[in-house]
Amino acid sequence: MKGITRKFLRINLSNGKIGEEAIPEPVETDFIGGRGFGIHYLYREVAAKTEPLGEQNKLIFAAGPLAGTNAQAVSRWMVCTKSPLTGAFARSVAGADFGAWIKFAGYDFILVEGKAERPVYIHLTRDACQIEPADELWSKDTVVTQEWLSQRHGLNTRVACIGPGGENLVKYAAIVTNRRTASRCGVGAVMGSKNLKAIAINAERNLQLHDPEGFKQLVKQQIQTMTASKGFQHHREMGTTGNPENTSELGIFPSRNFRYGRLDDYEKIVGEEYLKRRVGEFGCYSCAARCGKVHRVTTGPYAGAQSSGPEYESIWAFSGPIENSYLESTIAADQLCDDLGIDTISTGNTIGFAYELYEKGLLTKKDTDGLELKYGNHKAMVELVKKIARREGIGDLLAEGTMRVAARIGKGAEAFAINVKGLELPAYEPRGAKSLGFNYATSNIGGSHGYGYAPQEVFGALFPRKVDRFAEEENADIVVFNQNNGAVGEVGIVCVFARAWFPHLYDKLLIAATGIDKIAERGYLPRVGERIVNLERAFIVREGFGRKQDTLPQRMLSEPLHTRGAPGEGQMMRNLDKFLDRYYEIRGWTPQGIPSPEKLKELGLGYVIKDMAQSQNVRAT
Amino acid sequence: MSIRIDIPPFLRHLTDDATAAKVKGSTVGDCLNDFVQQYPKTERLLFNKNGKLLRYVEVYVNGETTYPEELTKQVKDGDEIAIVYLISGG
Repeated sequence: MKGITRKFLRINLSNGKIGEEAIPEPVETDFIGGRGFGIHYLYREVAAKTEPLGEQNKLIFAAGPLAGTNAQAVSRWMVCTKSPLTGAFARSVAGADFGAWIKFAGYDFILVEGKAERPVYIHLTRDACQIEPADELWSKDTVVTQEWLSQRHGLNTRVACIGPGGENLVKYAAIVTNRRTASRCGVGAVMGSKNLKAIAINAERNLQLHDPEGFKQLVKQQIQTMTASKGFQHHREMGTTGNPENTSELGIFPSRNFRYGRLDDYEKIVGEEYLKRRVGEFGCYSCAARCGKVHRVTTGPYAGAQSSGPEYESIWAFSGPIENSYLESTIAADQLCDDLGIDTISTGNTIGFAYELYEKGLLTKKDTDGLELKYGNHKAMVELVKKIARREGIGDLLAEGTMRVAARIGKGAEAFAINVKGLELPAYEPRGAKSLGFNYATSNIGGSHGYGYAPQEVFGALFPRKVDRFAEEENADIVVFNQNNGAVGEVGIVCVFARAWFPHLYDKLLIAATGIDKIAERGYLPRVGERIVNLERAFIVREGFGRKQDTLPQRMLSEPLHTRGAPGEGQMMRNLDKFLDRYYEIRGWTPQGIPSPEKLKELGLGYVIKDMAQSQNVRAT
Repeated sequence: MSIRIDIPPFLRHLTDDATAAKVKGSTVGDCLNDFVQQYPKTERLLFNKNGKLLRYVEVYVNGETTYPEELTKQVKDGDEIAIVYLISGG
């Protein structure tokens, strides 16, 4: 098969061994690529109870089978590992060019294991791979790091690196490439724990496709279909900056640490306002959308700040949680997160949590290095971003994420910690978009919107059916569908936005690239998605996760949402147990949320059954 | 002549939670104007000041996008119109 290189590169930082390994054909056909390969190898190679920041954890940098081709919006890449933030499975997706470069180097993925004694970086070309010293780069931010590596190895270098956040083992540190990030679940901290500063790849385009002529025709069709769609036009023009207006209208823009459904003055942070400050744009490899929008601050205390963003999530992260509509501060905070290498979502959410602790008297000025954490105080927010990445003062505590901060502070702080399984919730209020909310509850990586995004209730998408966004267990099938479908998208690592612009071509592109004809069979790809979700579930069950951890923050279960005039006033998540019963039933899992032997056999995951039988659902939190 | 509009989640708070409306017209524009007459508060979430569809609103007839014709797209008795916000939130 082509498209899939059928091999990966294993790099052991402890003993310096580097070697290629073949990917067996059944693994290709069962998992196809990307996230599929990630969980397949992680399940087999990272034993239960492995310390996430220890030498035994592994990092997988995966590209999809379409990466590096001239097909549009399919060259994203991802990191899979065991998360130091959650202790669960982690997958974190990024854009830019790095996915294409992994493929150009000749691999479907790079697996990094062990731990270097000193800071190092990996330099990879099509012909060689070296582990190089990186003492000079340690403590440098992601911009300087990338520039340094480009100067050393040439402009044709693409880099994935960590900043001070990853070096300091911030539990939600990111991996940065160009100005895109794999930022969720603390994947950057795992890289830091291995003393791995960066991976730099030099390679030229060099791909073989199963059916080059057929692929060429499909790409032509893809470009025509995509560029003619209104979705593309809108995304090309606005990126994701238009979304605060939509979610505020719906009352699902979480504000004041998830107490309200929108800011009072949300019109100050809508897309038109960002447009006024836009100074450029950028895009991912082979994507005409160029949805990355660059914003610059020219006046006020943040004059000079320039961010290759913020995207919707980051717009929210540095406005909603602390009730801040001064968007110049949002741009400044976003830039800092990218430079220092920390996740905007978890950072903003954790800062919002700190503001509420301050409001409740659980943190005082003594604890906050003199910062006054009063809602609306954006200067303190920007200072906290720096402190978190450097683990300075109060930042050392907040770098642990909301779950651990709450545990350390005690005194009821847990009630205000907005995470699922330790992963901070993103920019959609669960009580106003309940299928998305229940996706947070059941996601195998914790509170992630990307794990099972629900376009049906946020945007009125019609497929697979229309939904009532306030319905609960009635939409369990939709949550299952969205999660499985999300996994399907991430075997080819297609952009989640772009997939909707060429809905009937993704499967065909995969077949033309790989030659896996089974993809054409009805139900084959959904079954691959289901297999991936089940194996990820098995991974976290083996770690002790189960029904008890499939829950939502206390606030969502016990406090009514206030929407400031938007719809959804008074909504709560009322029927978590009923939802879980229905969800597990559809999944073919036990009432404790463990994949049943029958389901595992059906999915070709029989080797997991023994592990499930041995797993006890004993996790304390 | 009767055409059905499925009211999406993001408009229902402005339509007294109605999930569908019957409208009349020979084009999508006619039908949406009729809809706005029935539910005037929906206008600002569908049209800009110049009367054009908002850039993040897409209209489907019988499951097919109307873009780029949009408001001038012809419709017939029994057609179903759906309104969708374009996915743009990462």
